[in-house]
Amino acid sequence: MTSRTRRRSAGSRLARIIALRIASVALILLVLSFLTFTLLYLAPGDLVKNLLGNRPSTPEAIEAVRAQYHLDDPFLLRYADWLLSALRGDFGVSIRLQQPVTSVILSRLGVTSLLIGMSFLLAVITAIPLGIVSAARSGTRIDRAASATALFGLSAPSFALAILSITLFAILIPVFPAYGAGTGGLDRLWHLFLPAAVLAAGIGAILMRMTRAAVLRELEGDAITFARARGIPERAVRRIALRSALIPIVTSAGLILTFIIGGTIIVETVFALPGIGQLLEEAVLFKDLPVVQAITLLVAAAIACITIVVDLSYLLLDPRVRARELSV
Amino acid sequence: MQPRTPRSRKPRLAAAAAAAAFALVLAGCAGSSEAPEPSEVALVDTGQDIEQVTVAFPGSLANLYIGQESGILNYNLAATVQEGLVGQDPDGQIVPALAESWETPDDTTYVFTLREDARFQNGDPVTPQDVVFSIERAVDPESSPGTYYYLTNLDTVEQTGDREVTVTSKTPDATFLVSLSSAGALVVTQQEFWEAHDGGIGTSDSLLLGTGPYQVTEFQPDSHVLLERVDTWWGGVPKAESIRVNFIPDASTRLAAAQTGDIDIAFNVPITQADDWSSIDGVRVESMNDLSYVGLLFDQNVAPFDDLDVRTAVALSIDREAIAEKLLRGYGEPATAIMTPESLATAFDGDTARAELAAIPQHDYDLEAAQQAIAGTAGEGLETELTYPNTGPQLGVAAQAIAESLGEIGMDVSVREVPIEEWLATIGDGEHGLGFMWYFSTTGDPAEVNSYLLGPGNPNGFESEEAAALITEANALTDPAERAAKLLELETLGADEVVNAPIWWGKSVTAFSNTVGVTDYSPYTFTSTWGASLFAAEAE
Repeated sequence: MTSRTRRRSAGSRLARIIALRIASVALILLVLSFLTFTLLYLAPGDLVKNLLGNRPSTPEAIEAVRAQYHLDDPFLLRYADWLLSALRGDFGVSIRLQQPVTSVILSRLGVTSLLIGMSFLLAVITAIPLGIVSAARSGTRIDRAASATALFGLSAPSFALAILSITLFAILIPVFPAYGAGTGGLDRLWHLFLPAAVLAAGIGAILMRMTRAAVLRELEGDAITFARARGIPERAVRRIALRSALIPIVTSAGLILTFIIGGTIIVETVFALPGIGQLLEEAVLFKDLPVVQAITLLVAAAIACITIVVDLSYLLLDPRVRARELSV
Repeated sequence: MQPRTPRSRKPRLAAAAAAAAFALVLAGCAGSSEAPEPSEVALVDTGQDIEQVTVAFPGSLANLYIGQESGILNYNLAATVQEGLVGQDPDGQIVPALAESWETPDDTTYVFTLREDARFQNGDPVTPQDVVFSIERAVDPESSPGTYYYLTNLDTVEQTGDREVTVTSKTPDATFLVSLSSAGALVVTQQEFWEAHDGGIGTSDSLLLGTGPYQVTEFQPDSHVLLERVDTWWGGVPKAESIRVNFIPDASTRLAAAQTGDIDIAFNVPITQADDWSSIDGVRVESMNDLSYVGLLFDQNVAPFDDLDVRTAVALSIDREAIAEKLLRGYGEPATAIMTPESLATAFDGDTARAELAAIPQHDYDLEAAQQAIAGTAGEGLETELTYPNTGPQLGVAAQAIAESLGEIGMDVSVREVPIEEWLATIGDGEHGLGFMWYFSTTGDPAEVNSYLLGPGNPNGFESEEAAALITEANALTDPAERAAKLLELETLGADEVVNAPIWWGKSVTAFSNTVGVTDYSPYTFTSTWGASLFAAEAE
């Protein structure tokens, strides 16, 4: 077999791997949409009461509202209605906000993506170097200080951390705004810095611990011992160890990114940010089904994409994986 | 159900540059004897314009149209943007709004004459057809699920002249007129505007169109609403150029925002934080009876609460004085009935109203009597749950105290906080025998809450033809004193049967920056055109 045909078949193999992954994601999303629909249907609360409020109401009015939102249709019919519309790209109208779900979500997506992006970046640029240094200087004062910091970040609940950061950096040393998302551009970055830092604290701590463990494991592994025995310079040895540690680090970074998405609910509430997290929380409580369904699917799809990207990165990072997965 | 009532519409816009001192020692004006220490700040009206007033709301609004979402904060916001045919003055009396006058040729007919200078915020004149259209929307449960109930007694509405609209009710109804205010169910909008948005108004895409002194120019749920003053209001041009309402759900963040000097007015300051707020430099905290009622609800469809002795025992186990004074720190008044003393303002002065309400049979705190009442009933050893909404932490502390007392008479009550949506669904669901009723009256009408809790279709499973008849009779009476007498009879009937156990009448706690004053601050302020009552102030 020529090297060109080998490359081509490796390429088609890669395409097949990706296609398979996407198909399984679609299946998962379908199952998830049904589960969410069911859970919200069973959750406490009553959409009619939420709409009518704490007031008397007439039976005719209750009937009219139930008919308006098809609440008396059989459960499976309601799900099928939703699914057919969703497949056509129509995610319905938010009952609570009385606006199309897609435009509601689009109007929130900017704040949340920026928040998640900033906190992920903050976590990665602080935690990974810290983890590497910690592993390289294992047992020293630096390592103990870094571990203590990580422990604090990990154990402090994010709402407490959020309030603490507001007290410190908005009131005592007023450098950042206490709340709100700003008006766009640099103002928005400035407003989102504190919430992003709070989100980054918890996940950064996990990432630091995982990086430290991965690098330490590699440094203590046989390959490194042999490399040292062969007289390879310490700098090169460390580079080899780091490269081998990359897979667990990237895996945990991917996991952590999916973690942040959940964390946005608390942080957005404390910092009064108009993002997806607050929207989801209120939609769940109100039983605003179209919004809950759309956000759940969006989040699930985002997590699936992250997972696929992480998996594909193994191909890039590890020749052994590449050889196993892509060879004929 | 919802929130409190509207208020004065004499905005003193002519405020001369000459400084008039407004001593804001207002907490006592509604007649409460238990008011906490009022703030002693004397404010001077500088007569200046204010560039922007920043208001903090303790939660977000999803929709600005009160027909669609009708919580107290929705009312507060809409009140300065949209008007009804009538309004309420600081004493709760009905005064002209869009209608400059009205006549009642018979008990069920109301003929309104619209103001000649009434204009929408886009400059168009208000036509009788717009009013008719707005009333038709307000009474339709599909377009206005939150408010239609106020107008269930509406019979007909039609244009009867160039500036004249005639409305009729099915039966004589003393509450009918106030329902046609923005504190009740009617906010007048333009038919063309409504139709252009296919009825989907009050969203961030469609906003609101009304006739009030402020126009909504920006709305982002979970973030803010921006109001800008207009020059189309018949009442004149207000002092504050714009009002920005920020939604800040977390109480600590709200307090921090105020500490950084970012907030001019904060609605619904938590009672537990009132001291923190008043210790901020340049901030004063005002409390005001807010026409709300808190009591226990018994579902008589759920055993053993169908037993009068069990209900009596629970009612006797509530230490109202201790709850109001210690747990609510004075920001609440022990309730002797469902209707508030303020709601009887047209019939009695504050002291007389309190005396009349206290004359209704009471179940004062008496654990010994409670033990005797519960002995031998199915209530002995009962295990049950009491839920309260997460938006009312003060209900939670009261619930703990009540559960403790009930423990002493042998009832095991576990207290649980639930989201307000979940709590709403428990009211009258036939499963929760013991629950809270928490109700803000916006109109301040004395019959608003007790007719809901004692009348037909009430959430207590209380069936009484006598109560229904009393409500009908009371609402047919136009003389406030005669009507009050009927409603006192109704409350007496309710108390004899222990349909509910009243606990307290609420106060709202509002924080103001000393750079902003409000004229004629009363329980009705924030449900009328309050934006026009703001003035630039200096503390003396």
